[in-house]
Amino acid sequence: MIINRLLRKNMSPARIAGFVLSNFIGLAIVVAGLQFFQDVKSIYSDDDGFIKKDYLVVNKKVTSANTVEGKAAAFSAEEISDLERQPWVRKVGRFSSVDYRVTASVQTGGRGMSTYMFFESIPSEFIDVAGSQWGYRPGSGEVPIIISKDYLTLYNFGFASSAGLPQLSESFMGGVPLRLHVASEDGIRSADFSGRVVGFSNRLNTILVPQEFMEWSNERFGSSSVKDASRLIVDVSSPGDVAIGSYIEEHGLEVAGDKRSSQASFLLNVITGIILAVGVVITVLSFFILMLSLTVLMEKNREKIHTLLQLGYPLRRVGAPYRALIAWSCAGAYLLALAVVYGFRLSYLHQLEGLGGGHGNLWLAPAAGLGLTAVIVVLNSLAVGRRVERAWRISR
Amino acid sequence: MNRIDRIESIRLEGMLPKVFENESIPNSEVWRSDVVFRRGERWLVEAASGGGKSSLCAYMFGSRTDYLGRLYFNDVDVSGIPVAEWQRLRRCHIAYLPQELALFPELTALENIRLKASLAGDVQEERIAGWLKELGIDSRADYPVGRMSIGQQQRVAIIRSICQPFDFIVLDEPVSHLDEENNRIAARMVMREADRQGAGIITTSVGNRLLLDSLKTIKL
Repeated sequence: MIINRLLRKNMSPARIAGFVLSNFIGLAIVVAGLQFFQDVKSIYSDDDGFIKKDYLVVNKKVTSANTVEGKAAAFSAEEISDLERQPWVRKVGRFSSVDYRVTASVQTGGRGMSTYMFFESIPSEFIDVAGSQWGYRPGSGEVPIIISKDYLTLYNFGFASSAGLPQLSESFMGGVPLRLHVASEDGIRSADFSGRVVGFSNRLNTILVPQEFMEWSNERFGSSSVKDASRLIVDVSSPGDVAIGSYIEEHGLEVAGDKRSSQASFLLNVITGIILAVGVVITVLSFFILMLSLTVLMEKNREKIHTLLQLGYPLRRVGAPYRALIAWSCAGAYLLALAVVYGFRLSYLHQLEGLGGGHGNLWLAPAAGLGLTAVIVVLNSLAVGRRVERAWRISR
Repeated sequence: MNRIDRIESIRLEGMLPKVFENESIPNSEVWRSDVVFRRGERWLVEAASGGGKSSLCAYMFGSRTDYLGRLYFNDVDVSGIPVAEWQRLRRCHIAYLPQELALFPELTALENIRLKASLAGDVQEERIAGWLKELGIDSRADYPVGRMSIGQQQRVAIIRSICQPFDFIVLDEPVSHLDEENNRIAARMVMREADRQGAGIITTSVGNRLLLDSLKTIKL
């Protein structure tokens, strides 16, 4: 087309290449940063296989008053129903605890070890363990147990090393039967069970048994005194909600959780934020490069644009070659960025999968890049329209 | 605003370029006067250099608006015509040959003409070839316009201006560099095309005027 040839005259390939390169770099950083964040996030958010991240374990802060008065920091029925009324709460479960004595013993390397223990339980619907592993049939001699990872750490790196005992791995603990001796307070009724550790939890600072076992054993060995729940597990609609934090603060509560993981995910957020900001800044700069290139190009061709309009060419038609230039160069930069991010993702995916990540949303990052590209295309196209219109009246 | 389906008349009502605002312009039959050009008429606007004739042409073509007074197409004040409508008028109702010709020097004569002709729809290749031959530049059809003499360029521009539908054709100094022979040929061509379309002709001159028949003259 003659008109395209005319209007593309004075076009500088170097300037366009400069735009494509900078736009590509900006977009690649944004898309790669977002994609990496998506992929890594799952490592921290799915930190515990036993309870979902939307569950918070809440307890009251223990104060000196509790110690002096000998009154437990427990939740009253009103406090629980108040919590249940909060808009961010889906459901609330109570921790039940045993009403009898438990002694656990384990045989390791010829040496025996025995300790007083306690159990707690939460409603089964809050626990994510494959159905067959969790649960209890009344009368059965085997009880599945979930132990806080902190206990194992405490034993391995605190107690075992100072007492000269062997360290225990998670898989070893899973294979070793725990002998549990259960007895009522008065010592009249007692029974032995075999405990099987099915997992270690980062987020539950307790020793957990199935709710069915708790109910059954409390009935048999307990003194049937009713206790208030001292801990609650809360299913929240959005864990990041600020309302949760302020409610917790206001009511003097504490949330149990893995601090390391939340710090790491905080750092991840900050670093991702910085990377995205850098990418967006470069993208914005590339936007201005394109804007300036088009201004120079159209200013040089202003006479031609004016003449074409004088011949009667529609404004849309005169702007078309410039819009096409914008669309093609932006599409090129975007596709290039996508290709590079794809390669980048392949390079880290393997290692990330080993860490339990790599299952991020695949659409969000490309969509964000597309959104930025769309903004650049639309704003520059509008600017082209304005410049054509300005060339309409006077040739100089 | 009424859509203009045909420009029947171009009416000037007390018009004056803004630059002349504080000057007295004696003997002008156009500025500060009421003038009506009708479709089918042939007009020569005679002017001294600097009298504002190119300004008048640009006003009638919508390229400039730096005037006082009013300019009407039929009953429509042209100052209210939106840009898109102007583009339609330029394609179908008013043809214009600017004094500076506004050819693209890097394009050939034929490309320059086609650039305009293709806007009207089908390019009338035979008619264009006939006009090029008539004006004696058919051998230069594939030359870049920038390498042609001013006289040849003027002939290319004349052909380009008539290869569209129009109710009025405005020719600003169309033959300043043409000899009498070519002037007559060009005049005949423009008249033939204008008559065929029932159009009016408005031409300007500071000296060498387009040799049209039955011409009404008005002094600027």
